[in-house]
Amino acid sequence: MFIIPKLRTLSNRLPALIPSSVSIQSRNSSFKSSLFLEDVGKINTPYEVTKDPIDWSYVERVLPLKTVPPPIKKDSYPSGWKPQSDELADRPYFIKRTKNHMLPCYLHITQRGIKRTTLLKNIEGNIWLLEKELKEFLQPQVFQILRSQVNEFVGYIRINGDHVNAVKYFLEQKGNYITKNVSCY
Amino acid sequence: MSKSSDKALNILRALPRVCLANIRDNPGSKQRCRRGRGQHGGDKHGDGNKGSGQRQNFMRLGYETGNNPFYLRFPQEKYYKGHHLRRQYPPLSMLTLQTLIDTNRIDTSKPIDLVSILNTGLYKLYPDQHQFGVHLTDEGADIFNAKINLEVQWANELVIAAIERAGGVITTSYYDPHSLQAMINTVKFFQKGVPIPRRMMPPPDAIEYYSDPSNRGYLADPDKISEERLALAQKYGYNLPKIEEDNNYDMLMERKDPRQIFYGLHPGWVVNLKDKVILKPKEEELLQYYAS
Repeated sequence: MFIIPKLRTLSNRLPALIPSSVSIQSRNSSFKSSLFLEDVGKINTPYEVTKDPIDWSYVERVLPLKTVPPPIKKDSYPSGWKPQSDELADRPYFIKRTKNHMLPCYLHITQRGIKRTTLLKNIEGNIWLLEKELKEFLQPQVFQILRSQVNEFVGYIRINGDHVNAVKYFLEQKGNYITKNVSCY
Repeated sequence: MSKSSDKALNILRALPRVCLANIRDNPGSKQRCRRGRGQHGGDKHGDGNKGSGQRQNFMRLGYETGNNPFYLRFPQEKYYKGHHLRRQYPPLSMLTLQTLIDTNRIDTSKPIDLVSILNTGLYKLYPDQHQFGVHLTDEGADIFNAKINLEVQWANELVIAAIERAGGVITTSYYDPHSLQAMINTVKFFQKGVPIPRRMMPPPDAIEYYSDPSNRGYLADPDKISEERLALAQKYGYNLPKIEEDNNYDMLMERKDPRQIFYGLHPGWVVNLKDKVILKPKEEELLQYYAS
């Protein structure tokens, strides 16, 4: 910020070497150390300031929403996505949708694509009963004994292997809610 | 019991119980990340004697210590020559688009363009990585059922047929990287206080695609496009819905000018979000520059 004023005072002190009419070119070391742009004065380019509501409606059309909108109730959803069920009372467990209104069931691939685990999150209520029912549902589909981890405090169940679509199908059968071929985000 | 073990047990009784505070890792279970000197693991630091291992100058992949390498030994055809310079269109499937519509992330009562897809926050675009817009892929074309006015950057025949069977219209259009940068984050762009740029014409190798009525290019003749709509309906065997008799005819017929990047906003305008006003240039030279 202060480099340029210093240089100017130096040129004032040395009138014999540098004539005052010659301005010293300032080469700032960085963008941050350079001076602010000066006020350019009145702009001569003519322009029109409008407050047309029709024009502004087009501006509002291109502005993004600040929150994720709630889904609208429809008769059918061709993509296979379904909203959260309305009757949620008197259930032993509950799985909260994500902010994008999707089921929080994910596939985790680790060890360079070798290990696959299914993670079901946002579980509230009797997580142990859900794990038992999930195991009963998934066990006939695998050869080995199904391994799973329950974290009651955080509220997730981690299952060994890729069972994402099966878990989503299971939850749909339970009335929670999504078909297997839907694309999630 | 021997005398020494008796002694040891007596000592154990006096000692504090084993707990998290007084246990330590097994010796050798933790690897130090420091290269010790001298007696602390010095000498060759476990890197062996001589060669690439000790000097850490590993040879590049495929290098055969002076031989003519295998991957250079035979003449080749460069299928991917210049691949890093080609235009990329990151895919978006019709199933995902239908899910976006079902979950109320996209408003179908207004024309859908790249801005409305990007505003969902569920599709990313990086113009600096040679990405030029949406490639709508045909996954989920069978289930697609939404009457929309869609504008994408790349679409194949099946996708066009699926959109038009559902009663919608589709246009493929080109945006140059500067226009794309303005569309990615509209709020940020308007806050810059710079005029809306005019859209550039497609480069020579893309102009053929975007002026082809069978691709529903935005530079194609509208009469030829309606002919192609009918031809495609006959090819795929569906009844073409008449958009002339549709309630949303005005919305379905809304198109951008080839120089325009936002619906209803002319290039050259400056949008002031704070005061909610639009500044429009009046100078003849500017008007001529931004004219279509």
